[in-house]
Amino acid sequence: MTLADYMTVSALLFLIGVFGALTRRNIIGILMSIELMFNAANLNLAAFDRFLHPEGLIGQALAVFVITVAAAEIVVGLALLLAIYRNTDTTYVEDFHLLKG
Amino acid sequence: MIEYAWLIPLIPVAASLIILFGAKEDPRSPLPWIGIGAMTVCLALAVSILWGFVSGGVALPYEKNWDWFSLATTIGGQSFVWTMPVGVLIDPPAAVLLFVVSLVSLMVQVYSIAYMHDDTRYKRYFAFVSFFTAAMLGLVVSSNILVGFMCWELMGLTSYLLIGFWFEREGPCEAQKKAFMTTKLGDSGLYLALLLLYAKTGTFQLTQLHQHFALGLVAPAAATVAAIGILLGAMGKSAQAPLMVWLPDAMEGPTPGSALIHAATMVAAGILVVSKLYFVFLAAPLAMEAAAWIGLITAFMAAAMALVSFDIKRVLAFSTVSQLGFMLCALGCGGYTAGLFHLTTHAFFKALLFLGAGSVIHSVHTNDMRQMGGLSRRMLLTFATMTVAVLAICGVWPFAGFYSKDMILVAAWNHEKWIFWPLLLTALMTAFYMTRLLTLTFLGDDRDHERFHHAHESPALITAPLLVLAFFSLTAGMAVAHDGLAARLFPKPTLSVAADAAAATPSASVAASAANNPQVQTPDAEQELPDWLKFGIPGVFVPGAMLLAFFMYRGPKFEAAEGLRSAFAPIATLLDRRWYLDDAFLALVAFCDGVAALAFWIDANIVDRVFVDGWGLLMRIIAEISSFFDGAFVDAAVDGVGGLSTDLGVGLRSLVAEGQVQEYMMYAAIAVSLAATLILTR
Repeated sequence: MTLADYMTVSALLFLIGVFGALTRRNIIGILMSIELMFNAANLNLAAFDRFLHPEGLIGQALAVFVITVAAAEIVVGLALLLAIYRNTDTTYVEDFHLLKG
Repeated sequence: MIEYAWLIPLIPVAASLIILFGAKEDPRSPLPWIGIGAMTVCLALAVSILWGFVSGGVALPYEKNWDWFSLATTIGGQSFVWTMPVGVLIDPPAAVLLFVVSLVSLMVQVYSIAYMHDDTRYKRYFAFVSFFTAAMLGLVVSSNILVGFMCWELMGLTSYLLIGFWFEREGPCEAQKKAFMTTKLGDSGLYLALLLLYAKTGTFQLTQLHQHFALGLVAPAAATVAAIGILLGAMGKSAQAPLMVWLPDAMEGPTPGSALIHAATMVAAGILVVSKLYFVFLAAPLAMEAAAWIGLITAFMAAAMALVSFDIKRVLAFSTVSQLGFMLCALGCGGYTAGLFHLTTHAFFKALLFLGAGSVIHSVHTNDMRQMGGLSRRMLLTFATMTVAVLAICGVWPFAGFYSKDMILVAAWNHEKWIFWPLLLTALMTAFYMTRLLTLTFLGDDRDHERFHHAHESPALITAPLLVLAFFSLTAGMAVAHDGLAARLFPKPTLSVAADAAAATPSASVAASAANNPQVQTPDAEQELPDWLKFGIPGVFVPGAMLLAFFMYRGPKFEAAEGLRSAFAPIATLLDRRWYLDDAFLALVAFCDGVAALAFWIDANIVDRVFVDGWGLLMRIIAEISSFFDGAFVDAAVDGVGGLSTDLGVGLRSLVAEGQVQEYMMYAAIAVSLAATLILTR
């Protein structure tokens, strides 16, 4: 297993995440796609740490931090989703265009 | 005692402030006695100094200076500390004047206790008198001529206050303004002269100035200009022609105040300053000559006016002007001793004359001598003392005026015969008009019976000062002329270096500069008058003039005099109108007013219209054009840019969808991938 393999997986994961985020109508799906992109980045962090600086754990520690922050962020996202759902009775993103000028 | 000389001007100032602020105004306030007490102390100090000098116990001149303020200054790259000293300089004339001024002021204040009683501003009057005297004493003792000038101006202020003491009435109000402005005209000359002296010598100290002149360090032209400025100041203060117009009007003040102004303080100050700065005149023969002629002209003009006036105080005022002319003439003729001697004797008898006239006015309540007459039968003491004063001013032996006037005539004789003869004529006119005053007032028949019957001798507080002054009018001349004391008391300053500066400066340079100094004058040998004049003047001419006046005016109607008056009506009118000097000044003022009005018209109609308004109009037109350009082009460009960007934004927005979040994300993703592609493929 070389670094390139890890990066290929990570790139694929990221692209899947992007595709999901751009095409899913449901907000929950979009949030899940964003999680995929996070995980792609985490995978990169761990892989670079393993192959470029094998003597330390800084990259892996950073991945753990990112996971923690992502968890906190997803909590905020889900809370917003809940509030939106209670106000509009829908989770489809095309119905939200309050910011349209 | 002389080390306390610096206190002399300060004591009356303190007294003045205590009187002014010590208590409320009260017609019977005891506070004026503070002023009298202060003046007694001054008089005691002055007597001790003068007596000490005369008896040889005190050496004069005495000088003591203190530092007033210092300034750091840089001249030619070097730093100096420049110090302004302030101090006292008591030379023999100053010692005499200290005595005279404080004595006259003391007498005036005692007299005023009775004269001013029940006046509504009783207390204030005494405060003014004390302050007035203090200013004069300050001028007498100051070693710094700039400080002296301050005192001089303070005197101007207090004379203003005293002349306009009864400011409810119009006359005093106008008179005080006239006096103030006329004297200021002269003061400006004096001030400029002092500044010039300072610019030339760098000092205001009299002794140092004298040294500069003695060493010939001041150019003759500068000395002449300075001397003329000083002369101008003296002309204003001492009421010399043509600035003499204020003095006759100054009679509007209280009579004892007039006595003070005329005898001891105000008018004496002009002569005093000339004498203090006499060395400037010695270096400027032209100014000396001018002083002599101005004095002569003044003496004659004023004496002529006194011949026709019927107001007792006016006659005295004219006589003061005339006598001051004598003094200035003497100073100008080189008769320093004579001029100052006459200043001293004149102070006594002129104060006496004014106080006596005040006593008469107090008793008959009029100034018009035609309504008096025969008052000797009612007011014997006043008459006797006035007679002494008149004899003194006429120059009858052995009264004070004889000696001093004789010295003036000798000085004039030695200087210039063309000055001597008119001066002699003026002296005879003096004898005439003073005898006329005495005859009209005290001798002959009572012309106004009602006033005559109400007349009464004045109280002791009024007559006592008269007696004291009469004593001095009788003896001062004899005492001072005796045994060469006059020359000791009033030593003529010289420009000869050996006398003054040899001790202070290395002798070689002094001798060199003295040899090169053309201003050093060798004193001429004093000539006596020819015998027929020497004995003829006091023996024949003066008594003749007096007898003539007596016989012309002793009757109830004095037809002879009135006949003369109508025979020479134009001259009489000329004299009554005071040589039209007032009219001349008024015409001058009217002319200046006219010039000012013309200038104003030009300013309002030409300068304002053309330059100010026209310029404004031009600016307005330019501004309108600019405004049009601004609106049509600049603003349009700004608005155009704004409108363009608005349209652009609206048009761009219509290209994208209806606020779909995923669309925006897609744009972001496309942008990021494009950027990434750019970076990675570079």
